[in-house]
Amino acid sequence: MDWIFDIPTWEFAALTSSAFILFSWFGAIFLRPILRPLLGGRAGLNDIVGYILSLFGVFYGLLLGLLAVAAYQGYGTTQGIVAKEASALAALKEDIAAYPEPKRQNLIWILRDHTRYLVKEAWPQQRRGLIPRGGDVRMTAFQENLLRFQPSTTGEELMHAETLRQFNVYYEARRMRLQAIGTSIPSTMWYVVLFGAVINLVLIWLFDMSLLSHLFLGGILAAFVGAMVFLIADMDNPFRGAVSISAAPFEPILAELMED
Amino acid sequence: MVRWLRQEATPGARRSGATALCIAMAVVVGTAGCDALSLPHPFAKTPQVSPIKVGLLHSQTGTMAMSETPLRDAEQLALLEIEAKGGIDGHPVEAVIEDGRSRADVFPRRAHQLFEKDGVVALFGGWTSDSRKAMEPVIAAAKGLLFYPVQYEGNECSPDIVYTGPTPNQQILPALDWFLSPAGGSKRRIYLLGSDYVYPRTANFIARKYLAAKGVEVVGENYVPLGHKDFRPVVETLHAASPDLVLSTINGDSNIDFYKELARQGVRAAEIPVVATSVGENELRALLPSTVEGHYAAASYFQSIDTPANHEFVDKFQQEFGLDRVTDDPMEAAYVQVKLWEIGVRKAGTAAPAAVLAALAAGTEFDGPGGRTKVDPKTHHLFKTFRLGRIGSDRQFDVVFESPEWIAPDPYPAFAFPGWRCDWTQGAPVAGPAVDMGASARAVAH
Repeated sequence: MDWIFDIPTWEFAALTSSAFILFSWFGAIFLRPILRPLLGGRAGLNDIVGYILSLFGVFYGLLLGLLAVAAYQGYGTTQGIVAKEASALAALKEDIAAYPEPKRQNLIWILRDHTRYLVKEAWPQQRRGLIPRGGDVRMTAFQENLLRFQPSTTGEELMHAETLRQFNVYYEARRMRLQAIGTSIPSTMWYVVLFGAVINLVLIWLFDMSLLSHLFLGGILAAFVGAMVFLIADMDNPFRGAVSISAAPFEPILAELMED
Repeated sequence: MVRWLRQEATPGARRSGATALCIAMAVVVGTAGCDALSLPHPFAKTPQVSPIKVGLLHSQTGTMAMSETPLRDAEQLALLEIEAKGGIDGHPVEAVIEDGRSRADVFPRRAHQLFEKDGVVALFGGWTSDSRKAMEPVIAAAKGLLFYPVQYEGNECSPDIVYTGPTPNQQILPALDWFLSPAGGSKRRIYLLGSDYVYPRTANFIARKYLAAKGVEVVGENYVPLGHKDFRPVVETLHAASPDLVLSTINGDSNIDFYKELARQGVRAAEIPVVATSVGENELRALLPSTVEGHYAAASYFQSIDTPANHEFVDKFQQEFGLDRVTDDPMEAAYVQVKLWEIGVRKAGTAAPAAVLAALAAGTEFDGPGGRTKVDPKTHHLFKTFRLGRIGSDRQFDVVFESPEWIAPDPYPAFAFPGWRCDWTQGAPVAGPAVDMGASARAVAH
């Protein structure tokens, strides 16, 4: 299903809702005449179907609601991780500015290289669902260079210790971001969501109404179910699709590093 | 290009029916069917043209990172320029980047992975000769092509490598000529110092033979391990030998400690200048100007070259990677080799390594930042201009000598390797009698 993240949001939303609407209409036109006689034509059937649909709707609504909240929370958490990573990177940049030359310039160059990689290469890879690997070597190179520094004064010792601590904070946030790339709602849960949507629409077909009412009311319900599924799917992968976390927090840092 | 077009036209036509089926399935079963059948989705924006993959394999960590990481950047700049032009004949070029970790045992493993797993068609990589020699069998087995951008010792003639750095006759020997001449101070007591691996050993063997033929004394020869830090005894020994010139083939970040120690022991460039073969603007960035001012480097390119092509190269590089970044000789070679590969692919109409090599070996020329260069059909090395630079107070090089014309590459100088010849136009290299470099090295070792 990866291609859904490569299309514009409105196309994705329209496609999801349309798929559900068409499925609903298809059933109303072709399957309803077959299903309805199976249940017999006794009076009060609409009430029974309505009762079952209400009951089912509660469970299905809960499932969709919880999933939507989980997806939104996941999105928000990842956004927080990215913000923390950017803040830690900015702080690290400030820390290394205090090193004596030429160490300062060397560290700035590696950090700039890393930030440039984040914005220009890692983020586009994340948007494709790939875990970018190029940051690892840059971090190792930065650490190697940092550890090679021999403080010669107490002030330098304190500064160096603080930089190492800040580096660890940054490293931790970066690892958390990389882990967040691959996290998403399990496929089993998606099957349950789709199965529930089908049951929802099948129950609609069982109502004894005119075809026009079926097409109208069933279409509205199908469109909303489609919209909910779209919402969850679009927020499920926080780095993918139009509704995704951008590299914007890192861009001002890169701009500053480029001029450093 | 014609072949590519033919390859894609038929499947493309076949896909139209499958796409229609996919649309129907998308509507009915919520699009999952497209993925199940691995069919292209009608709304997907993924390009259908297959990318050409190339590998960039340099040390981004370890003792060589300081020198090699900028090569990756220079190669990426060239690839960005290709991308800006829309790729090669419509095919995007995708770089797969790996880290050699400054270890000769890592390079072949990564090269194997790049060719066999990632499917690259060409590899731009290496710095040390150890890494190049370790990769060569992997390249040969994969029927791939390696572009190697660094000055090296010669004594090699591989059909799978395009050597874009200078050979000793394009770098070390012209530098020695200048220092032996009145313009260079008529030096007569030379000290050879290098990292302990194949390039410095072989380069110094060639230098010794050359100097012996000129009647110049080699007053000492010493080697330190790659990544060596403690240069106190090394500089003491060097100082005690009273040379009037040091030829340094030290590689990597050991150069920082070497120049620092020279300065600490008061060895001044005015008295004992060091001419280095593996020191460029990037290595100097880790040193204070006062430590290195007045020493020399032999190269084909310096950032300070005052030509429009070089200004454009430096500007583009700094805009992309930072306004304070510098360019140096191996970086220029790294940039040029990607450009040459691009020319080769365009000329060949395919990215197949053998066809690209054949196209390049037809004498392909390119106007690079360091001047005009040409692929030598015989040796698959480049014709290059020689330049000698003196380090200024801004850690840039003032060019004190430039060869009037480009110099043809010679991986087997006759005085050092009698009977050996590299000539792929004749089908294969000619091997001469075995040369014992070790015996000669031991004879003068201190």
